[in-house]
Amino acid sequence: MTPFEVGLLMTGVLLVLVVIGVRVAFAAAFVGVVGLIAVFSMRMGFERGFITALKMAGTIPHSKSVTYSLSVLPTFILIGFLAFYAGLTRQLFEASKRWLGWLPGGMAVGTIFATAGFAAVSGASVATAAVFARVAIPEMLAVGYSKRLSAAVVAAGGTLASLIPPSAILVIYAILVEQSVGKLLIAGFVPGIYSALVYVAIIVGMAAWRGDAPAIKGFTWGERFASIPGTLPIFAVVAIIFISLFGIEIGGYSFAATPTEAGSLGAFVVLVTAFVKGMRLKQLGQALHETAKLAVMIFTLIWGVLCYVRFLGFAGLPDAFRDFVVSLPHSPMLTLVLILCAYAVLGMFIDAIGMLILTLPVVYPAVIALNGGEFVSAADSAFGMSGEACSIWFGILVVKMAELCLITPPIGLNCFVVAGVRPDIPVQEVFRGCIPFFIADILTIAGLLAFPGIVTWLPSMM
Amino acid sequence: AEVTWNVSLWGNRRAFTENVEYLAERVAKESNGRFEIKLHYGASLSKARENLDGISIGAFEMAQICASYHADKNPTLTVLELPFLGVSDLKTEARVSMKLYEQDVVKKDLARWNAIAFMPTPMPQYNFLGKGEAPTSIKDFDGMRVRALGGIGELMRAVGAVPTTVTAAETYQAMESGTVQAASFAPHAHLAFKTVEVGNWWTANMNPGTVQCPVVMNSDAYAALPDDLKKILDESVQPAVDHYIANYETVYDRWWPTLKKQEITQVTFSDAELAALKEKAAPIWKAWVDKMEAQGIPGQELLDKMQAEIKG
Amino acid sequence: MTQPEKPNGDAATYRVLSGTLAHIEDVFNLIAAASIMALMLLAVVQIFARTFLNQPVPGFIDITEQAMAVFTFLGIAYCQRVGGHIRMEMLLGMLSGRAIWIAEFMGVLVILAVVLALDYGSWFHFYRAWTIGDSTIDINLPTWPSKLLVPVALSLLVLRLVLQLVGYWRLIVDPTRMPIDVPVVVDVTETARHEIEETLGDEADEETGKGDAAR
Ligand code: NA
Ligand code: NA
Repeated sequence: MTPFEVGLLMTGVLLVLVVIGVRVAFAAAFVGVVGLIAVFSMRMGFERGFITALKMAGTIPHSKSVTYSLSVLPTFILIGFLAFYAGLTRQLFEASKRWLGWLPGGMAVGTIFATAGFAAVSGASVATAAVFARVAIPEMLAVGYSKRLSAAVVAAGGTLASLIPPSAILVIYAILVEQSVGKLLIAGFVPGIYSALVYVAIIVGMAAWRGDAPAIKGFTWGERFASIPGTLPIFAVVAIIFISLFGIEIGGYSFAATPTEAGSLGAFVVLVTAFVKGMRLKQLGQALHETAKLAVMIFTLIWGVLCYVRFLGFAGLPDAFRDFVVSLPHSPMLTLVLILCAYAVLGMFIDAIGMLILTLPVVYPAVIALNGGEFVSAADSAFGMSGEACSIWFGILVVKMAELCLITPPIGLNCFVVAGVRPDIPVQEVFRGCIPFFIADILTIAGLLAFPGIVTWLPSMM
Repeated sequence: AEVTWNVSLWGNRRAFTENVEYLAERVAKESNGRFEIKLHYGASLSKARENLDGISIGAFEMAQICASYHADKNPTLTVLELPFLGVSDLKTEARVSMKLYEQDVVKKDLARWNAIAFMPTPMPQYNFLGKGEAPTSIKDFDGMRVRALGGIGELMRAVGAVPTTVTAAETYQAMESGTVQAASFAPHAHLAFKTVEVGNWWTANMNPGTVQCPVVMNSDAYAALPDDLKKILDESVQPAVDHYIANYETVYDRWWPTLKKQEITQVTFSDAELAALKEKAAPIWKAWVDKMEAQGIPGQELLDKMQAEIKG
Repeated sequence: MTQPEKPNGDAATYRVLSGTLAHIEDVFNLIAAASIMALMLLAVVQIFARTFLNQPVPGFIDITEQAMAVFTFLGIAYCQRVGGHIRMEMLLGMLSGRAIWIAEFMGVLVILAVVLALDYGSWFHFYRAWTIGDSTIDINLPTWPSKLLVPVALSLLVLRLVLQLVGYWRLIVDPTRMPIDVPVVVDVTETARHEIEETLGDEADEETGKGDAAR
């Protein structure tokens, strides 16, 4: 067997292990270690190959995790856990309702904007859905909106959290593909807003047509402006992220900072707000505890999969997959759409972060090659953008696909979470309510495919 | 091929890796394909900082390393990273480096990693390329966050700067985000790692020193080579270095136009400023010697030998 | 899975061991959580010192990187205990009775194999740094302490995995026993409930109460 064949075989083994339910991080590490043993044994005999492989694999967890750019992850996770205690959900919902309630389906429109605002302090779609299920659904039901619509609005709105910065999943993508974390984060902003606007258009359209989701009128300008101060911490976090990542100078001071520093400052602002709002130390402890648990899960996944990737490096598999994808007879765009569809299917069975970490090392080089390579100029490329722009664009597309899966059966977790917070609303009802939002997402993705500028414009300003 | 060696490299193919590229090509040709040296870019076999670990394990047979990425892994190599040693060109740098690798104390140092340094990657002066207000005198470096390795880092610390080192691949992003304000690199690296695209000034005549980046090999793998292949490998080193140096000239054909195109200010310091800066070097040399001697390495002797070699 | 537990002797020792280990795991996770807080505060200090005093924290990147090892590794056994490492449960969810425990047992066996391998390898990674030497770039922090955390954390994970093997083995022998301290396959509704608890903390129960009232 050649190392390449071992690569293929072990990739098959990995798929089997993942499907039969071995924890993904360790399944990948296992395959990586066994693969390294095989590759080294072929070179130097089993005995030496075995030890060499173990020692090589043993360098990976430390060397791959202890990387400055990854240190932003826990800060982003922490912001999300603290945001709830900072009481920002209710303030946001109140403000969006007062400002946008006059639209047809106004309460639902307000919910979408509130979730988009909350996305600016939370990277977790599922958590966003959980908190808004409790804040927004009762109010929507109280003004006569259907359970189906109310629940679906929250489930769909929750998915915005992964696009609008901060977003852990975009950080992971950036690091896996060795792109600027700052650019990826900034790149998610406009598509996140665009996605929210498409949701709003669908809501307004449905409400106007069916007339079952009335506008909420009667707020005075005074009431509207009074609702603003409570949301200021959100604007502070957005400002911190933009000012740091764009390196804006104010009053002679340059506030340029790394994502880690921006994330830490953002977390600090939310932490202070939470204390002001009466968060207890015990709750801070709980938030830190959950942050640590999520962080170790993500980091284990990262180094576990990188054990597998290191083996692929020795076996030369990504190169081969890249050559295969490039040699496909379809147009590059069709190939890309097929890849995205594959993600949509995969996302139905596996968590978004796991799916990305597992597939990107092989799929990403292929996509970049499809566009014409890492250093291609926009003029010579297949998708009309430079190598760097393509990697940013693909990142947003993939994350949007992964988010889409949060509102589709069978395991659209956002829907289950909403149904879990509201035992009176069956999950089937939530899924049914999500159909228009699913269509909205398809339109959003089509828009991102047709007009990549939505994604690439803002980061190109950096 | 009868023998295949894997080489662990980071980044993409660039002027920095032309010695290895040429070596691989020449060895394949001279051995009629019996000896294949396979290059693996992008740190796919190991992270740059862990290349010596990989060599010591025997996971790959050859790697490029930079001494100051991990000074305590290879203390003796850092002698040629001391600031203002006065190496004027790549030829001298290569000659002095080869001499360094022949020293017993260096061989012993690297033998701990099962490694042999056998080919230099000579690099020109590591001038700074920075973003923001251009320094007009040395004191403008006070408080500046600079990516500066080894002895150059020490020098910058001595003038009040704060060495903030990210890996080469992360430098572009670090400069863009303001983590570092200036980076010291050889011109090819300023081009390859795109610091020229974010920066707006360059210290044309500071010439603080350079970095020591040898190509190392696993000593067992070398010992196991048949004599004729060993000979081919040994004899390919000089041609590879010559090719590297000749190729490096072409970097400047891109370097000067790029500086112009990106409208990068070329900062030249006055002789008085430079003299003041050079005065900071002596204590750094002394501190280095003291540190070596404390570890039982004859630092002064090694430094003297290298200085003699530099003078020619 | 909800049958009352049958009295059996092995479970008593097993419970004690598992409980003791759980204490250590909790402490490790607490340290990890504290390190996240500390690093966040350090970064805030870094921003202010750099921006307003022009005096960045020397070696900030070195310190952050080395400290990262704390939260990237120490919680790993805790996470395994509570079933926090993600997996695909589609197929497992279709099994029941003894079959499911056999599948779980095999899954843990795979993890144990690779963790033992990495434990061994990462020990040498530490050992090289310790005996030969290695330090960070800017302020020459030794790297061996953070490298040592990897085999330490993985060794703790080995103990947890061995206990989980025992835990699942009990269930293979007699599937009517009650699972003790082993992750069980939960359906997506249950996963959703966990997510809600994590997000809403103490207030989750209160929330469910409200939901019931609404019904
Ligand atoms: Na977000
Ligand atoms: Na998500």
